[in-house]
Amino acid sequence: MQTLRLEASRLSELIRRLMGWGPVWAPVEKAPGVFSLEILEDVEKARPDALRTVVPFKKLLLPPSFTMVRGDFGNADLSEVFHARGPQVLFGAHACDVHALKILDLLYLTDYVDPYYEANRETLLVVGFGCWPDDKCFCDSLGTSTVDDGFDLALTPLEGRFLVTVATSKGDDVVRTCRDLFDPASSDDIRDYLARLRERRDAFQLQLDVSDLPYVLELKKEDPVWDELARKCLCCGSCSMVCPTCSCFNVADRIESDGTASRVRSWDSCLYRDYAVVAGGHNFRADRGDRVRTRYYHKQDAFVREFGMPSCVGCGRCIENCPTGIHVVEVFQHVRGDL
Amino acid sequence: MTAEPRSDVRCGGASVSELATGSNPYLPAPARILRITELVPDTRLFELRFEDSSLATGFGYRPGQFVELSVLGVGEAPFSLPSSPTRRGSFELGIRRAGVLTGFLFDHVGEGDSVGIRGPLGNGFPVERFGGADLLLVAGGLGMVPLRGLLRYLVDTRDDFGRVVLAYGSRDPRRVLFRDELELLARRGDAEILLAVDDTCGVAWNGRRGVVTELLDEVKLDPARTFAVACGPPVFYKFVLDKLVASGFGKDRIFLSLERRMECGIGKCGHCAVGYTFTCLHGPVFSYWDAINLPELIYE
Repeated sequence: MQTLRLEASRLSELIRRLMGWGPVWAPVEKAPGVFSLEILEDVEKARPDALRTVVPFKKLLLPPSFTMVRGDFGNADLSEVFHARGPQVLFGAHACDVHALKILDLLYLTDYVDPYYEANRETLLVVGFGCWPDDKCFCDSLGTSTVDDGFDLALTPLEGRFLVTVATSKGDDVVRTCRDLFDPASSDDIRDYLARLRERRDAFQLQLDVSDLPYVLELKKEDPVWDELARKCLCCGSCSMVCPTCSCFNVADRIESDGTASRVRSWDSCLYRDYAVVAGGHNFRADRGDRVRTRYYHKQDAFVREFGMPSCVGCGRCIENCPTGIHVVEVFQHVRGDL
Repeated sequence: MTAEPRSDVRCGGASVSELATGSNPYLPAPARILRITELVPDTRLFELRFEDSSLATGFGYRPGQFVELSVLGVGEAPFSLPSSPTRRGSFELGIRRAGVLTGFLFDHVGEGDSVGIRGPLGNGFPVERFGGADLLLVAGGLGMVPLRGLLRYLVDTRDDFGRVVLAYGSRDPRRVLFRDELELLARRGDAEILLAVDDTCGVAWNGRRGVVTELLDEVKLDPARTFAVACGPPVFYKFVLDKLVASGFGKDRIFLSLERRMECGIGKCGHCAVGYTFTCLHGPVFSYWDAINLPELIYE
């Protein structure tokens, strides 16, 4: 790891140079307060300070829908279809995003490696950006408010400048090709970084009590709270689509107009009614309450048992985007009996 | 109590990284259908052989594992293997007409046609642990299909095991799968076969009339030196598992194979997730102890 300084006035130039690396994806304000992760055309439009884009970075790695294999209808000789996008730059990833990326790596690059994910992951350059929490951020409770690896380069805003963290050799490549933009970090830069860290720690307004949460959930699995929640949840799947770690997908075959056929993989949600239906029509999770419960248990119980940590990074996207106002932190407070 | 990462759910213990059918785990390998045999009116046995000859002869699997079969443009679905890995060169799938893909297989696919296969998938039965023990196989309905693979394996490696007992319940005599073969095994003394039907439907029947749990009363086995393996529909588990535990079987000596919506088969798509396991990756075989600790795993 290496620490440098970037003057604030040089940020646009850095982004411009990154465009030579590949398409630069950054948050862009589409409507007042609504941010979307888009390929930058105008560097001045980049808003890395924006807390959360509606859809997270996962769309850069696995598009919402894509063809995995293609061939003639009914023919068993199939060809793979790869959607390798080549080098891409994710500009403005916050600590929670980087943690989410590490979780997706765990899911897709362990046991059987997912070649579609791997192809885009290997060429992704991740440039982090220091954020400041709002009333929907609860990453601090989940240990995801800071991050030491999983990104290539990170910028932490200080007064008139950025502290630059170079975390990988790929990040070092960027620095070496943009030598003129960076200065060595001074002791003042480090002092100000530490002061920012203290102030930021005190700025969190929302906390999720995760102590013993998997066991608490185990004890509450038959609790009426899940049915109450089911009456409020539309099972629309918005929370899954905007969640940076939700990675379920559905596979369906499609016949094209030219007689060829393809096997298409699309983002899916465990909240959808037919998610667990098997041939013959039996639905293992026909009850809405069961589906709602499953999503929360997957994040805070199942994943902890499997990987030793929850798969929620506290980004607040599900809170911001739920059409009926379901608030994940309040759900768990309710489960604990704290509300 | 703090949650601990999963330890021994993966009964097979086999390391996973690549499928026999290729390094892209989503890409099926073509396999030709050699023979289709009607087992009972809605269930057929498909014998297949990979078109790639080294894959055909090298394709190894464990009893209880499964494959994903697909016809491009129609769909893909998981099927258990009723054949035994002791007999290489070809493999079998027992398929009941139940949905879009199986309907297409029954109506439009014949001997000589090729389909796509991915596998083998899942953990399979822990046959190494079974060595030297008596085996009690309990099947209900279509649950006989994966257990037939295990039964064949046990018979082909007969000296490694003690008594091999099959208790198999069907709805009526016309729905008994592999009946001739099972009767042959019984005559040869390779296995003790106990059959029951709910209703004889006026057909000649020399087995028991009743439910499979009643067959278990006829079997005298020492639970301490026996492993029980059960496979059947949800309602079957409800009664069989209680019966086995009441007979003295420890919950870690009872194994079951479960059905879920296994789309990707490699623990990625999420559809078969139950509690903290993926049925496709950590199962489909679970000990009863593991299964009972997973919400909704068996009954719902």
